[in-house]
Amino acid sequence: MKILLVEDDRLLAQEIARALREENFAVDIAANGEDGQHLGDTESYDAAVLDLGLPKVPGVEVLRGWRRRERHLPVLILTARDGWSDKVDGFKAGADDYLTKPFRIEELVMRLRALVRRASGHGAPRISCGPLSFETQTGVFELDGLPLKLTALEWRVLECLILRKDTVVERGLLSEKVYEGDVGTDSNSLEVIVARLRRKIGKTLIETERGRGYKLNSVTR
Amino acid sequence: MTRRNASLGRRLMIGAGVFITAALVVAAILIAFVLHRFVQGQIDQRLDAQIIFLSSMLEVDPGGNLRLTGSADGPPFDLSRHGWYWQISGPKNVLRSRSLDGADLTPPMIGDRPLPPPPPPPRPEDGASPRERPIPADGMGPYERRLHFRILDVATPAGAATIVASSPRDAVMGPLWEAMRTLALSLGVLGIALIGAMLLQVRLGLRPLERLRRAVAEVRSGQRDKVPEAQPSEVQPLADELNALLVQNAANLERARKHVSNLAHGLKTPLATLAIALRKQTTNTEELHDLVVLMDRRIRHHLGRARSAALGGPVRARTAIASRADDLALVLGKVNAHKEITFVNHIPPGLAVACEQQDIDEMLGNVLENAFAWCRSKVAVKSSEEGRNVVLFVEDDGPGLSQEQISLAMQAGRRFDERSPGFGFGLSITSELAELYAGSLTLDRSEELGGLRVALRLPASA
Repeated sequence: MKILLVEDDRLLAQEIARALREENFAVDIAANGEDGQHLGDTESYDAAVLDLGLPKVPGVEVLRGWRRRERHLPVLILTARDGWSDKVDGFKAGADDYLTKPFRIEELVMRLRALVRRASGHGAPRISCGPLSFETQTGVFELDGLPLKLTALEWRVLECLILRKDTVVERGLLSEKVYEGDVGTDSNSLEVIVARLRRKIGKTLIETERGRGYKLNSVTR
Repeated sequence: MTRRNASLGRRLMIGAGVFITAALVVAAILIAFVLHRFVQGQIDQRLDAQIIFLSSMLEVDPGGNLRLTGSADGPPFDLSRHGWYWQISGPKNVLRSRSLDGADLTPPMIGDRPLPPPPPPPRPEDGASPRERPIPADGMGPYERRLHFRILDVATPAGAATIVASSPRDAVMGPLWEAMRTLALSLGVLGIALIGAMLLQVRLGLRPLERLRRAVAEVRSGQRDKVPEAQPSEVQPLADELNALLVQNAANLERARKHVSNLAHGLKTPLATLAIALRKQTTNTEELHDLVVLMDRRIRHHLGRARSAALGGPVRARTAIASRADDLALVLGKVNAHKEITFVNHIPPGLAVACEQQDIDEMLGNVLENAFAWCRSKVAVKSSEEGRNVVLFVEDDGPGLSQEQISLAMQAGRRFDERSPGFGFGLSITSELAELYAGSLTLDRSEELGGLRVALRLPASA
């Protein structure tokens, strides 16, 4: 799961990013509206956390821009303005949820998970796939009812696959969701991560579609 | 009532009334004066003609007595004792009109001028009287009549003689009074007409002011956002100034709000950072977090107050409720997307309250947020009108609150359930805001849905 965090306060952005990474999320940070707009337009994110009071381009404008260009990623507005009029404006611009500062990071994580789950079309908080199950609200994977220990990169790959279970996930998309913007992809290539995952959950669950990508099968053949 | 705040209309009317009366009185006096002179002139001409007639017929008989060559008692000198008299006083004898009935006609100015006057030295070169024009005099004549005299000294071969002709005073004053009566009547009618016209003019003239007052009242009640620009040229600058003031007021309000918003941003961002950083503390995390929550609540409380305090005096806003409720429900529906919530809006579309939109959003938002957070599946809003107030009811089918919980929930900054989002605190802010608008917030149980019913009482928009 990859999140775009658009927040101009450097300290707050770092704290949020650190907390989100502890939850295995990949996080890209944009420090102003212009960069945020650009990243949201060009990269693929599962959700965006958008501060409303941004330098250069205001948050609401960034959001309107994305929606105008049909960027449908779920957006959670983060704002110090707790006035309802601001919230209404934000939602009319296309926001999906909001949090007012200060907030509990657990609440942000919970809401982001719910947003991503709903955006990928899953109504229930628990997604099952054969012996594997994923609790979207806590981010915990279980295999045959037992918690699965995963590294951040493994978690991101598996989360991306299980949200799109039974469909082929392109390699390009997968690496976009797994790697943060400033990290090179060569050190821990997707093949290595998938191989490690197969060792943990069994060889048959993840299927390689040659030349295209990977698929998580709910029915093993 | 001091001069300053006395009625403008009354002031104009008193001023114009005094002026019109004075002008009419002065006109009457002038006209009377002119008329008097005119009538007097006519009479004088008649008397002077008689004097010339008399002097032309005057001759001296061999005895040195004056006598007339013919009768000089033509009308009006033929009427006995009516005041039309003449008399010629010569050095030896006195000739009188028959109308005098033998009485003596003595002009009244004996004190001023000896009568008969001392004969002036005869001047052969002109041979005429030393005074070419008769002189006027007024006084009592015989038979107790007030008379007007014309007196001329003439030189005769027998010596200086004085010719006096008189007319009754009534001959002047009678026509004059008659003319003046008519004049006074017509001037009176004219005065009344003028005052009537002036009343009308003051009414009409002050009407734009009344219209402006109504426009300002409409601005205040939020029915229009500025005073109409098309005004009579005298009122135009006032209207322009009023509009400029309104614009400035709005700008100030906007600026104040922006400052408050910036302040919120400035305080809350570090607070958010602090809250997240605290997570890493292993001891007392909850306690520290409670402190953050407390700080946040204080900031919100005072910022909320500051935002509304910017309102200052009377409100000129008008906000339609129904659409705001729909907008807020849209937000809350998304936020509570994990629940299937039916929102029913029974508020008539035209219903408006005299509150700023931001404040309505704030009050209704807080109340609806609670309802959405606590309901099982249904939230309803409806309204009723109570005199000059509008009461908005927000009901849900949640667990509701006991009487004890209600009083707890209304205490400022006291959150009924720490774990649930925004409960209680929002209600106390809403209650304070409603009070700023002279409204109120009350909680009870919903008859229809079984959960909490919040009644928000606000002033209706005029």
